[in-house]
Amino acid sequence: MSHSSDDQQKRILYANQLGKRVTSGERELVILESLALDVERGESVAIVGSSGAGKSTLLGLLAGLDSPSSGELEMFGQSLSALDEDGRAALRAGRVGFVFQNFQLLPTLTAMENVMLPLELSPRQDIAAKSRQCLERVGLGARLDHLPKQLSGGEQQRVAVARAFVTDPDLVFADEPTGNLDEATGKRIIDLLFELNRESGTTLILVTHDMALARRCDRCLQLEGGRLQALERQRQEVDA
Amino acid sequence: MNLIALSLKGLRRDLRASDVRALFVALALAVAATTMIGFFLDRLDRGLTRQAGQLLGGDLVLEQGQAFDDELRQTLRQAGLELSDQVDLVSMVSQADAFQPAGLKVVDDHYPLYGQVRVDRGNGIEGLAHGPPPGSAWIAPRLAQLLDAGIGDTVQVGSLSLTVTGLVEREPDQQGGFSGLAPRIMLNLQDLEATGLVRPGSRIEYEILAAGPPAAIDGLEGRLDALRDAGVEIRDVRVDRPSLGRSLDRAQKYLSLAGLAAVLLAGVAVAMATRRYVDRHLDTAALLRCFGASQRQLGQLFAWQLAWLGLVAAAVGALLGLAGQAALLALLTRFLPLELPPPGGMPWLMGVLTALAVLVGFAGPTLLRLKRVSALKVLRRELDPIPASGWVVVVVASLVFGTLLWLYSGDPLLSVGILLGGLVALVVLWGLGQLMLTLLLAVLARLPQRSQQGRAWQLGGRQLARRRNASLGQLLAFSVTFAAMAIIALVRGDLLTTWQAQLPADTPNYFAINIQPQERDGVETLIDSAADATSGLYPMVRGRLTAIDGEPPQQQVPEEHQTDGALRRDLNLTWRETLPEGNRITEGAWFDAESGSDADSATASDGSVPISVEEELAGRLGLSLGDELTFTIGSDSVTGRVTSLRHLDWESFQPNFFIIFPPGALDGFGHSYITSFHLPDAGNEMLGEMVQRYPGVSVLNVEALLEQVRGILGQVTRAIEFVLGFVLLAGISVLYAALTASRPARAHEGALLRVFGAGNRTLARMQWAEFALLGFASGLLGAALAEASALGIYGWLGLAPRMHWLMWGAMPVLGAAIVGGIGYLLSRGSRRQAPMASLRLLGET
Repeated sequence: MSHSSDDQQKRILYANQLGKRVTSGERELVILESLALDVERGESVAIVGSSGAGKSTLLGLLAGLDSPSSGELEMFGQSLSALDEDGRAALRAGRVGFVFQNFQLLPTLTAMENVMLPLELSPRQDIAAKSRQCLERVGLGARLDHLPKQLSGGEQQRVAVARAFVTDPDLVFADEPTGNLDEATGKRIIDLLFELNRESGTTLILVTHDMALARRCDRCLQLEGGRLQALERQRQEVDA
Repeated sequence: MNLIALSLKGLRRDLRASDVRALFVALALAVAATTMIGFFLDRLDRGLTRQAGQLLGGDLVLEQGQAFDDELRQTLRQAGLELSDQVDLVSMVSQADAFQPAGLKVVDDHYPLYGQVRVDRGNGIEGLAHGPPPGSAWIAPRLAQLLDAGIGDTVQVGSLSLTVTGLVEREPDQQGGFSGLAPRIMLNLQDLEATGLVRPGSRIEYEILAAGPPAAIDGLEGRLDALRDAGVEIRDVRVDRPSLGRSLDRAQKYLSLAGLAAVLLAGVAVAMATRRYVDRHLDTAALLRCFGASQRQLGQLFAWQLAWLGLVAAAVGALLGLAGQAALLALLTRFLPLELPPPGGMPWLMGVLTALAVLVGFAGPTLLRLKRVSALKVLRRELDPIPASGWVVVVVASLVFGTLLWLYSGDPLLSVGILLGGLVALVVLWGLGQLMLTLLLAVLARLPQRSQQGRAWQLGGRQLARRRNASLGQLLAFSVTFAAMAIIALVRGDLLTTWQAQLPADTPNYFAINIQPQERDGVETLIDSAADATSGLYPMVRGRLTAIDGEPPQQQVPEEHQTDGALRRDLNLTWRETLPEGNRITEGAWFDAESGSDADSATASDGSVPISVEEELAGRLGLSLGDELTFTIGSDSVTGRVTSLRHLDWESFQPNFFIIFPPGALDGFGHSYITSFHLPDAGNEMLGEMVQRYPGVSVLNVEALLEQVRGILGQVTRAIEFVLGFVLLAGISVLYAALTASRPARAHEGALLRVFGAGNRTLARMQWAEFALLGFASGLLGAALAEASALGIYGWLGLAPRMHWLMWGAMPVLGAAIVGGIGYLLSRGSRRQAPMASLRLLGET
């Protein structure tokens, strides 16, 4: 591979000929095939597709949570296939944030403690202050000590958003972030997500089946038949 | 990342979770039980040794027929022992016209080394730590009665007049010996010479009583052996506490067993709670993986977290154990004037070690799952790491438990045996459990759905049988729990019954010896007139074992027993037609049952005389059936062939004999008779009459000894009941942990059923039915396991094995009631909650 160092600094994610197959009994199932993707710093990219198209599988691969069957995949200029699971974990540490459809908050931890969790993995002093600040930013300054079950779904997802951004990550993955929320609440969460994205210059990869949501991203890619196709480049067209 | 700090934080947050609390309770209970029993046994052992020392008069007693030299005293003192000299002899004591033979106990100013003399000096009974001063004598009330003497009177001992200044109610030391049989008079050593009784040829026993730490006595081993060879009789408190030995040995074994049962129960609880803990932390682990934690970091994080939990639980448990043993002792001190040394340090260490070992053994393998969790689980909930195989968990836990067994029992063979037996039992239980669940499904399928109630049982039973693996796990855990609880309860019952049977209310409290043949009928009639129980009269011939198979015994017995006391003194021989009560033939056959024997001529068909030998003696001397033993009696000798070995109970307060001949075999040898009997308080006058009419007969009062043994048994019984309570508590903690662990899955199931339209009542009935069935089956399997284990354990404790039919009936019912009850209560919360809440809690919405 030969990329200029400038390319590497701008390029956050790069995939080429990416494939994922799983065997189920005798049968081999192709989920992703010859997939290519190039995401630059600060971009927001939506990946849309019908249910069962392999969106979550792709997200898992891109985030280094799973390893591909074939092809190249780089994150922050580093090849993921050269790393084992621990190596990939180390690469993610402090630089990648996640927002999940089912929030993934730990039920025995308070909102504050949930947000503190990723920070506690990296040595730093201002964990509490930074977490509180983040929760205040998402409008939950008064609910710091509440357990997830004492919060509404929208509030839980706001805690999850705060947790995703608390490490000042370079890259945030969001997997159907509004999937479990009503429309109005979902819209507020999305507004928040984009606001934070803009404020911190984070790269955002959003997986969704909601086209309206996808259109708010810089780029929109459709996953179909195991490959990605560009739908439109609305923002650039508008800017142009 | 500071893992240690993070783990502490995590633990603090985790304390909100019920599984962590269950883990904590289980660990703390295990440590509390082991430290409590450890502290208690440690102190009791040291205290009882001291008390036995009191009975003996010292930790070490040396006795011979001539005065000891000062060089020996010097050596003993230098070794760190405190000494007291004592001289025993029998002499006439008189007051006015009354003459009585009395046992003189002559003590020095250091007497007694342990305990107090309870004496009435005219102001009621008081405890004194010294003997009578020079010029005075303390006498037994019976002697006072016989001599018609009281406090202030003068009695004549040899050529010395002494003033009676006290009546001795109880001496702290219960020395045997010939002088112990006659009524006692105690005087000061400084007066001995003036009595003029010490003359060449007088039969006098000189004793040195020594008190000091065991190490001091161990250091003298070589010197003591030399003294033994020179004919000095030596009694060591650690060897010579036979009257307490067997019962206490059993009690200690019981307490150790109970401690181990508590550890095992806690281990099961820890294993169950850990499963839930791990399930609950899979999400945390996956998230941490997402945030960039490595496998190693995860492993360390959770290991640290549990280590903190273990340490805190160990500290709390050890404090509980310390409090527990203090409570135990507070309960008991009322019953025995036993002063116990302070708690030692060893139990603390063992407690902490136990907690960590239980954690590693019972939680470790399950915990490894957390390390292996995939980060991808955050996207796909179903991606749980494969659980540790149940058998891996069992094997690792068994190894750790086996090591603990070894540590506690100090017996590697026993530990391996128990462990292998346990594993085999688990495999069998597992198979039985599978069978039971299959049968349950089959039976339920055939039952008609008549009533609401019947449907609930069917639903509950099906749920149980279908959730096969989880149910099997619980079934095994509960069976082991119930079995452990049952064994501890059963052994307690049988132990107490054995003790009560061993010392019934009419256990002989007097022995009469030296009954001459012509006095036999008269003494027997007299005893029968006042005693409410008697052992009957046994003839007694004193003879020394001088040959085994025609060779000197020293050449025939194993090397370590060549100095055995039985070879160096006369043995009591008797003859008897029937096997004495309380004796049991362990090998060979009793005379009348032996083919070809002829009781009349006392010879077997081959012309030899059959004899029966006590099994422990036979073991020490390496005797077996067919060996020929020759005894020298006076100037003659008699030879017999061993035709049976007997087990007998030395704690029975009955006359016991090492060697029994058939009637007729000892005819022509000089003999006297011995008997033991129980005399109620009202029968005391008979003793006076006996002494008057048969002055040669010696009557020995063993009431004090009997009371002491009873007191100790009573005390130990209470200890055992306290400990049983603890084991039951540990058992309940297992049930709590296990049912807590399964609560979320059941809540989920319940919520779904309610979504599908099941009413609260149906749900409650169904859950109750499921738990009750589980409890019933566990009780049944537990009874089987307990009965099987009891076979081995009873042998180890020296108890006679028996079937426990009541247990078979009671355990399934109790199991159903207990598990059903706890389960029903624990699932009440989920029934009250809206189904949506239960489902949401589980992340399903």
